[in-house]
Amino acid sequence: MRRAVNLSKVGIKMMKTFLICALAALAVLSNGCDRDNVKVYHVAKEDSAAPPPDQIAAPEQMPTTQMQPSQQPQLQFTLPDGWQEIAPSQMRVASFTVTNANGQTADVGVIPLPATGREIQLVNMWREQMKLPALTNETAVETVSAGNDPAKLFDIASEQPLIDGKFRARILVAELTRGATSWFFKMTGEDSFVTAQKENFLQFLKSVLFVENIPAQISGTGLGSQNFLVPKTNTLVIGGAHSNSSANSIWTIPSGWQQLPPPEFLVAKFSIAGADGASAQVNVSSLAGDGGGFLANVNRWRGQLGLPPFAEADLLPYENGIDVIGSPYGIVDFVGTDSKTGKPSRLVGAIVPQNGHTWFYKLMGDGQIVAQQKDAFIKFIQSANYANARNAP
Amino acid sequence: MLATLLKRLIKIFTSLRLTVILLAFAILLVFIGTLAQVDEGLYNAQARYFRQWIIFGLDLFGRKIPLVLPGGYLIGTMLLLNLLAAHICRFQLSKKKIGIQITHLGVILLLVGQLVTDMMAHETQMRFVEGETKSYSESPRNYELIFTSEENSNEEQVVAIPDKLLSRGGEIQNENLPFTIRVKSFWKNSEPSFRAPMMQNGPPLTTNGVAANFDFRPVAEEKTMERKNVPTALVEIIGANGSLGDWMVSDWTADGAMIRGLEESYAQQQLGAAMVKGIVARLVAPQSVFAGGKKFTFALRPERIYHPFSLTLLQTTHTIYPGTDIPKDFRSRVRLQNPQTGENREVEIYMNAPLRYAGLTFYQYQMDASDVAQQAGLAPLSALQVVRNPAWLTPYLGCALVAIGLVTQFMFHLVGFISKRKTK
Repeated sequence: MRRAVNLSKVGIKMMKTFLICALAALAVLSNGCDRDNVKVYHVAKEDSAAPPPDQIAAPEQMPTTQMQPSQQPQLQFTLPDGWQEIAPSQMRVASFTVTNANGQTADVGVIPLPATGREIQLVNMWREQMKLPALTNETAVETVSAGNDPAKLFDIASEQPLIDGKFRARILVAELTRGATSWFFKMTGEDSFVTAQKENFLQFLKSVLFVENIPAQISGTGLGSQNFLVPKTNTLVIGGAHSNSSANSIWTIPSGWQQLPPPEFLVAKFSIAGADGASAQVNVSSLAGDGGGFLANVNRWRGQLGLPPFAEADLLPYENGIDVIGSPYGIVDFVGTDSKTGKPSRLVGAIVPQNGHTWFYKLMGDGQIVAQQKDAFIKFIQSANYANARNAP
Repeated sequence: MLATLLKRLIKIFTSLRLTVILLAFAILLVFIGTLAQVDEGLYNAQARYFRQWIIFGLDLFGRKIPLVLPGGYLIGTMLLLNLLAAHICRFQLSKKKIGIQITHLGVILLLVGQLVTDMMAHETQMRFVEGETKSYSESPRNYELIFTSEENSNEEQVVAIPDKLLSRGGEIQNENLPFTIRVKSFWKNSEPSFRAPMMQNGPPLTTNGVAANFDFRPVAEEKTMERKNVPTALVEIIGANGSLGDWMVSDWTADGAMIRGLEESYAQQQLGAAMVKGIVARLVAPQSVFAGGKKFTFALRPERIYHPFSLTLLQTTHTIYPGTDIPKDFRSRVRLQNPQTGENREVEIYMNAPLRYAGLTFYQYQMDASDVAQQAGLAPLSALQVVRNPAWLTPYLGCALVAIGLVTQFMFHLVGFISKRKTK
């Protein structure tokens, strides 16, 4: 009997404890469920749904010590014999390849980076590539001239055979700081070849000129035989006034084509006027990668003329255009009705992959003008010098 | 009859056998949960196995195993009840057992503390660039569709609808909104693509707002902790006089972290800085509707927690080991300002030196001061992890109590043993 009484007491005690636990758990759970309800609150205006300030305001808030691409000067230089310009890779504003008759090659790149005063870290990074111990102090081999500026030259050669396990490697790096930017001119390759090319490398450095405040649109005159480069983050340079081709122009523009300011996302736009107010337009754009692919873009153009889309098989006749415009795709030519104006229209288009970008050329408008201008349009595409357009979007 | 039932229940809840069974299940659960992390990721495995009362079926090694197991919540609660019941029934206030009592109290504190932490702790992030001031932090995992309208010249009203409601679909109404929101699609993870002139291969889902310039498509849910899901929804806003149109709302358009990532990715594709800026401006352009005589601007963004104080990022320090990309030190110097208390001071936050303020802990979490970011014209960014955990002291107290209890019990026995030997 006494045992039963004790148990009941214990039972009541336990029930009380469980109740307290349950209430506590309920309170905790109800707090958690609050996340499922609609919340209404008031905030100061600047904290509201405006676009994130860290993104939109970032360029304005950028400290003055940082690299501001739009303020970068442009580079002029003269290339030594045997040096060939190639499309610059990431971070570079210019790339070159140097080859000799024995098949030895070296790579040259121009890299602007924000000046941090810690260039020793980069030098040590390159030393690490050469399997050399890090330096504690920057010890430049010599001071050289990069155009009108003095530059520090680092000559780093490996002690082990790092190229194919047979040849020693060498890196030549010239570094000069202009304002907030450190410019690195770097040549990498087989030790003996880089050593042989050192004189050319120094000549190339001497020829470098930094040109400030060049306008975004320039005409293609007055630069002689020199190459002209714009850092890839800068505004596009479209070279060539009417009917002229020069070292820095992308195309030779046929006569009768009037160049218009390109709308956003187009590289260039031209208008061709005909009789009775008829006209045709030439649009040129460029995108990184395949730009959506040949079929999709051909069908986009067909859609603009109100034509049904092509299937993959319909593209077979267009598959070999390499001889004509330097593209694996042929030129397309469609007649239809302009879906914007409702007028009969003809479209001649070409898609040209180049160095990781795809260029889109479209001549569209009045059928008679397009027929007259088709040859000029193809010549225009053939005249492209894509090396002058590395900073194109 | 009742006494017998009660007796049986008490016997079950106070039995050591139950403790052993529960501990065995706990070991099994930890084993299964750890294996499941490989396929499901840490967060999903935690949610599926540990933050669960009962687990129906397992997914291991790509196979479904039809098994029902107690989840983490059930095991924890049962252990707590088992311990409490045993404590109540067998409690004896004696010197001899004081160590055991303290140890048990410590274990109870650990169990309760973990439950409270799990239910009430909040982890958010505060991301800002140098010079920027923020008085709110954002959830890394929860999102909200917000509608803001001007309240007066200084204030705006924000109506925030959590993503959980959006994911259920259907219609959402709120007394503060003069329209109904009909959720047509909700994608937990999505990908944007800019409708560049050369990429427009089909009509947009809707021509309103951001959808005119960007396509969004659903993608597979991310399960790793390193990558996050970026939700997008297609909603129709229906006013008193009919539809106000279909609109795409996406975290891609309002999440600072994702926009910065996109900018960097465009910069890597060698698009010019001006074009990157142009594309991003189209992405983040505010979307709004007029209804009930008011303008409502809306966006899908990470859930925000507002604080009564602000932090300004004064300087980021990002050092790496010379010659490598390995980070050596990340630290943020911030200014803390609290208009309510008049506080205005500078604090440095770095690894193992968080800022503890107003019940929150600010840890240095991420930093982006890379060359790619700088080439894209982006200022150095610092992200702080903001943790609110009302029970953060319980593990320390619990462990301390367990240690004190064990030492007390041991000392008691030791002293008794030595005294006995002396008497002999």
